Amino acid sequence: MKIIIVGAGEVGFHIASHLALENKDVVLLDKDPDAIRRVSDHLDVQVVTGSGSSPVVLEEAGIQDAEIILAVTNSDETNLVACLVADIISPSTKKLARIRNADFDNYHEILREQAPHIDTIINPDIEVVKTIHRMMSVPGAVDIGEFADGRLKFVGVNLEDDSKLAGSRLMDLPAIIGNARLLIAAVVRGDELIIPRGGDRLQSGDLVYFISEEDKLIDTLSLFNKYDQPLKRALIVGGGRIGFRLARLLEEHSIYCKIIERNPDRCTYLAERLNKSIVLCGDGSDQELLSEENIQDMDIVITLTQDEETNILASLLAKRMGARKAITRISKFSYFPLTDAIGIEQVVSPRLSAINTILQHIRKGKVLSAISIKGEQAEVIEAVALETSGIVEKPLRDISFPKGAMVAGIIHGEMIIIPTGDSVIQPDDRVIIFARKEAISKIEKILAVKLEYF
Amino acid sequence: MRWRYILNIIGILTFFFGLTMILPLLVGLYYRDQSVIPLLKSMGITVAAGLSTYFIFKSSKAEVISQREGMAIVAVGWTAVGLFGALPFYFASGFESFVDAAFESVSGFTTTGASILTHIEGVSKGLLFWRSLIQWLGGMGIIVLSVAILPFLGVGGMQLYKAEVPSPVPDKLKPRIRDTAMILWKVYALISLAQAVLLLLGGMSLYDALCHTFTTMPTGGFSTKNASIAHYDSVYFDGVFIFFMLMAGINFSLHYQLLKGKPLAFWRDSECRFFLGMVLFLTLVVSINLYGPVYETIGKALRYGAFQVVSIITTTGFATADYEKWPAMSQLILLLCMFFGASAGSTGGGMKCLRIMLCFKYCYRELFSLIHPRAVSPIKIGGKTVPDDVMRSVVGFLALYMGLFAVSTVALAGLGVDFRTSFSAIAASIGNIGPGFGLVGPVENYAHIPYLGKWLLIWCMLLGRLEIFTVIILVVPEFWRK
Repeated sequence: MKIIIVGAGEVGFHIASHLALENKDVVLLDKDPDAIRRVSDHLDVQVVTGSGSSPVVLEEAGIQDAEIILAVTNSDETNLVACLVADIISPSTKKLARIRNADFDNYHEILREQAPHIDTIINPDIEVVKTIHRMMSVPGAVDIGEFADGRLKFVGVNLEDDSKLAGSRLMDLPAIIGNARLLIAAVVRGDELIIPRGGDRLQSGDLVYFISEEDKLIDTLSLFNKYDQPLKRALIVGGGRIGFRLARLLEEHSIYCKIIERNPDRCTYLAERLNKSIVLCGDGSDQELLSEENIQDMDIVITLTQDEETNILASLLAKRMGARKAITRISKFSYFPLTDAIGIEQVVSPRLSAINTILQHIRKGKVLSAISIKGEQAEVIEAVALETSGIVEKPLRDISFPKGAMVAGIIHGEMIIIPTGDSVIQPDDRVIIFARKEAISKIEKILAVKLEYF
Repeated sequence: MRWRYILNIIGILTFFFGLTMILPLLVGLYYRDQSVIPLLKSMGITVAAGLSTYFIFKSSKAEVISQREGMAIVAVGWTAVGLFGALPFYFASGFESFVDAAFESVSGFTTTGASILTHIEGVSKGLLFWRSLIQWLGGMGIIVLSVAILPFLGVGGMQLYKAEVPSPVPDKLKPRIRDTAMILWKVYALISLAQAVLLLLGGMSLYDALCHTFTTMPTGGFSTKNASIAHYDSVYFDGVFIFFMLMAGINFSLHYQLLKGKPLAFWRDSECRFFLGMVLFLTLVVSINLYGPVYETIGKALRYGAFQVVSIITTTGFATADYEKWPAMSQLILLLCMFFGASAGSTGGGMKCLRIMLCFKYCYRELFSLIHPRAVSPIKIGGKTVPDDVMRSVVGFLALYMGLFAVSTVALAGLGVDFRTSFSAIAASIGNIGPGFGLVGPVENYAHIPYLGKWLLIWCMLLGRLEIFTVIILVVPEFWRK
């Protein structure tokens, strides 16, 4: 299988490295020789120097026999033209493009149906904004993802000392929480991610991942002493594309919003397009500015500048000055293990969302979606249970699941089942599986599905 | 400045303007009244003057008009038209001097509606028709009309249009200015037709219906009756007039959008919302103020209150009540309405709602930036940022408006007019309203204003109609520097 990636930026580079590890034929295009050099130094992929929008360069890269072309340069226009050229030269090639300009938001469908026939348009900004909004709407959530069109959520929360769950074994949980159903899918303790079994104990300080139906989420969170506190005032640091989108979303939800941006021209741009938000020109880590704008009354601070160090510092400063909550944008994966240590709880990463979305769309077969958690230590996979697989029509406890993997949810038609040992998976049900990286190949066998690229 | 070319254009404008006198002439012939001879004489003089100017200053080819020349053409053209338009009055009986005739004529063209006539019903029908017609011509603008129907003005049409319709944020409905001018006139004519039909249905004679339509749509305010609209004393007519005065006070590009099938055009426009909201609010306040001391039923208070507020804020100047006898608060509200004016892009005068809105927003931004010193807060209208140069011209306009108002008031008082009268006469002239307070109140007239005072008011009316800059620039020395 041959994949052409146009653009050797952060996303292109990362996806190329992911795919190269799966022994796929990857051809990476970029017009910047330095970026190309970095790729050829580090990855086992073919590289071509040249513009991805050029038909000659695309032919040189072998577009005719490529199965997928992935256009992820920083320029929307280049991505669009690359797909258009690919559509002309090789109509059978599947096309994915990253298009971030909000003006295209309403045209995704048209671009799919008409030339350039882009099969999937990825806008990581939209994903990140959705994630931030979910984090804001779920009290105490450190991490949050969705399956089955949002009806099923998986949520990561920190277990505090005062929670009645701290110190108890999983098998004892039903006795403590009574009728409520709580399925703990994973526990992160220190740097390690554990898929817990009945005998494992929860400890205070753990980051606990659980699965919940959407409408029972608030009840479940109350078990962790996380209560719904409505957010009324938000401060966004960094008025880039994500900051702007978020501000517009918050305006729609009538959340009072201030946005700090350093670049005066960008401030003017934002102020012209935002109606209720207050646009402030300055530095998000400027203490005087923060106190002038009553940082102590802010329910949430979201730091979204391009520079992650600034984001970390601004978040820490804001929390220290009295903001209730902070969400920090961090792109470098190498920083993720540090976040707990420095007191940053909630993190978003556009790069991670982009990679997740793209990988999910590239994967063939019966995998519907997959989300990486905690960096990439584990994945949550939504897949269709085939009749030929070994998991259908028998109780879960009779299936020998590999260590480090568990079924976290079953979607049977319209019904959502939080599974117990007695649950039975029917053919064509969708199953949600939590798995550590090393268990994924075994999951593949059980599902009798070729999970490409794991 | 190529005066040859400017005078050439003014010549042709005057010529065509002279031809429009055929209409009142026909009316005069139909009624066989004394207006026929004066109208024939005036028409002959105007057409001859126009043609001779045109041929004396004939230039070889159509040239591009610069912004400065555009302003000169409009300002001089309006003055010329105002003076030639005065001829029928001057030749007819009832006008003692040329200044009276000029006052009546300019008051007509600038859609002011201030009159020096003491007994209107005694004037011949042809002449009264002329008096109404010049308001209709002046309302949408004679230059805009010329741009629309005279093809050779197409080249410099944009400059002329900008000089005559100096809205803070110009709307160009079509790529070509000629088509824009044409559309505006068509919309104007269409709404006028609707009003005339409604007045006829209410039982008004065809002559009166036409005359009153010609003075409502341009927010002019001349009536063929001594008592203005109060003459009819009819709820139906009051309602029709209120409705069409409001229509005339709304930006005509919104009417165009409405006719193009956008039913929410009025609601989507923030200036229109502001204007209608303001009218509603002030009507309620005035009506509550009138209920009791002046009118014994709330219905009457609303009827007369609404009519007068709408009439003054749209700068029409019709009257159904003698507001001289109203409580001070209502009078002061009407006085404020004189300054307010209607929407930009309408036929109304005054400072225009858009400018008032921008001014409020400007003030609020000053307060806001004291609270949030680092906030970036552009001034927006309808979600769009108002560029700084527009903001500057708005502030400049408001300052000039108030400055000229102050100086003119003092000057008029210096000529021996009393405080209340001079204050309101200037406000009513510069805002193109017509009736003021005191000795120029709704049941009074301007006949008793001293000779120089009348010229001062004529100057103020022209200033107000052309929104100051186009006229005042002619007295700036820099304008004439080679």
